[in-house]
Amino acid sequence: MSLHSTNRARPRKPLQWIDVRNRRTGMWAFALNRVTGLGLVVYLFLHFVMLSQLFVGRAAWDSFVALARSPLVLAFDVVLFAGLIIHGLNGFRVALNGFGLGVRQQKAIFYGLMAVGAVLLAASTVLIFTI
Amino acid sequence: MQTTATINAPARTRSALGSLGWIWQVITGAALVPLAGLHMIAQHFMVEGGLRGFDQVQAYLSNPIVWPIELLFLASVVSHALLGVRAVLVDLGPSPRVARLLDTVLVIVGIASVAYGAWLTYAIVSAA
Repeated sequence: MSLHSTNRARPRKPLQWIDVRNRRTGMWAFALNRVTGLGLVVYLFLHFVMLSQLFVGRAAWDSFVALARSPLVLAFDVVLFAGLIIHGLNGFRVALNGFGLGVRQQKAIFYGLMAVGAVLLAASTVLIFTI
Repeated sequence: MQTTATINAPARTRSALGSLGWIWQVITGAALVPLAGLHMIAQHFMVEGGLRGFDQVQAYLSNPIVWPIELLFLASVVSHALLGVRAVLVDLGPSPRVARLLDTVLVIVGIASVAYGAWLTYAIVSAA
């Protein structure tokens, strides 16, 4: 079954997109895009809060930087990068399809982009832990 | 034929914000690739330890080329994010009145977020 055919039926309930049990690739891609998007929105506003330390002053910012270099926070950065990469690449496919491009090939495009994403995430993880 | 893209398309929206929102989300999404890439490389990957210290942040943002790019990044990411939140909330099937209220709240949050970022940038640069 192709991606577009799996998405033909609109969810019967508003939040049904969250439940991807027994769904095909299209619904997984759709849910993945939304989950990563919502996660990135939460991160964006957390980022604003963190940046407020710059206004507090040099000592506050530099102590935050020390905390941000801890292995736990770096692991969180890997999760952040995974969200960015998945959302960005999946969003590229959604935009292509929205303009009528690659609609028939969208399942292959999705898997191809996720493979590219896996490589990018591996490279990003190495960078995060070695810089 | 309905695709994953058309699930987010303006057909189900009820306001001017919704009718242009999907196109704007595509435009900002495309813009975010170079803008977020530049932000990540300059703020994290080019800096030893992955984060700039206070003086390094001041020096970076004081560059007359950098701060307009960072503000463009901020405006793009905020509008892209809030349009995404709107798409999810509109799927809950709000009444036209609630949908209009939602649009108003999201516009206010967006303007406030960009204003906060601009003010923070100004405060950091002017303190240098």
